[in-house]
Amino acid sequence: MSRLELVVLVASLLLLAFIVEVVRRRRLSEGYALLWIAVGVGVLLLGVLRPLVDRLSRLVGVSYGANLVFAVAIVFLVVVCVNLSMHVSRLEEKVQTLAEEVALLHGPRAGTAPGATDATPTAPVEPVDTTSSVGDDDPGL
Amino acid sequence: MLDHLDADVLVVDDGSTDDTVRRAVAAGAIVLSHPFNLGVGAALRTGFRFARDRGYPVAVQIDADGQHEVADAKRLVEAVTEGGADLVVGSRFSAGYEVGTLRRLSMRMLSRRVSRYVGVPISDTTSGFRAFSARAIARFASAYPTAYLSDTVEALLLAGDLGFTVNELSVQMHARQGGQPSSNSLRITYHFARLWLVLGLHRFRRPMHRTEERVEGPA
Repeated sequence: MSRLELVVLVASLLLLAFIVEVVRRRRLSEGYALLWIAVGVGVLLLGVLRPLVDRLSRLVGVSYGANLVFAVAIVFLVVVCVNLSMHVSRLEEKVQTLAEEVALLHGPRAGTAPGATDATPTAPVEPVDTTSSVGDDDPGL
Repeated sequence: MLDHLDADVLVVDDGSTDDTVRRAVAAGAIVLSHPFNLGVGAALRTGFRFARDRGYPVAVQIDADGQHEVADAKRLVEAVTEGGADLVVGSRFSAGYEVGTLRRLSMRMLSRRVSRYVGVPISDTTSGFRAFSARAIARFASAYPTAYLSDTVEALLLAGDLGFTVNELSVQMHARQGGQPSSNSLRITYHFARLWLVLGLHRFRRPMHRTEERVEGPA
């Protein structure tokens, strides 16, 4: 086992241990954990199966094996980032909707309803529109 | 349905865009609406909170698409009120519930795992037809796994952690009267991988429930 293989092995095991630990502490949802465990196992395999990486890189026309790994890693990380951005966007939308719902639930603040001195609403409360339905809330996979 | 059951019916509208709310209200149900779709587990937790705040002594989780029998709901409730159970699962298996080979194998695996953990044989761990005692309502209202499959399977492990008396009864199962079944093989694979991780790590994880007992309302 070369020194590089050993370093990759240790790094991937550290990643796996860290992921398991944050799941154990309930700081990371299991869905995302699954993604990062897959990454950890993938890195581990790449480190151990370097001849395979070299052969694969020659096959796709990359002269140096590590370059292929870099290229794949960058593409993967970009995909994850875009996915997380989409997820955050959806969360922002949901938080806004929630805040609006809370405001409506509180009702008009005392004395601010038109023509009313007490806090009773002057108009019947209308049902809240629930058209902002999102199909699922699975983490991006 | 309301006519056959001496109970209040709560419908949790999980961000629906059809006329679910109107029809549920027309049928005489109490309706709570989520501002957007959150999934079955979240709807269930909303139900637990409602039941806890109103001080209901028993709660039944039942499918809205008519797959479950109201008479069975009564039996589940009795298992709580007279049988002294905290969580009663309605099992679909002895009633000729047909599933594919792969699904049957995974369900058997889940059954073994859960049964060993709670110390009682539970054959149908993913059944969404259950009854809960006031104690279960109170604890589940404050902490309950809401992810798909966790809301049924992991909840049983949580019940084990909390020292609940868990039980299982055979129930009837009908074809759904409406709505689409939610299945997609890639999605199911992901959910089972996720569940596998949950089950594998469960006993090592920080407990989901808060350790202090919550002050309860009338029970």
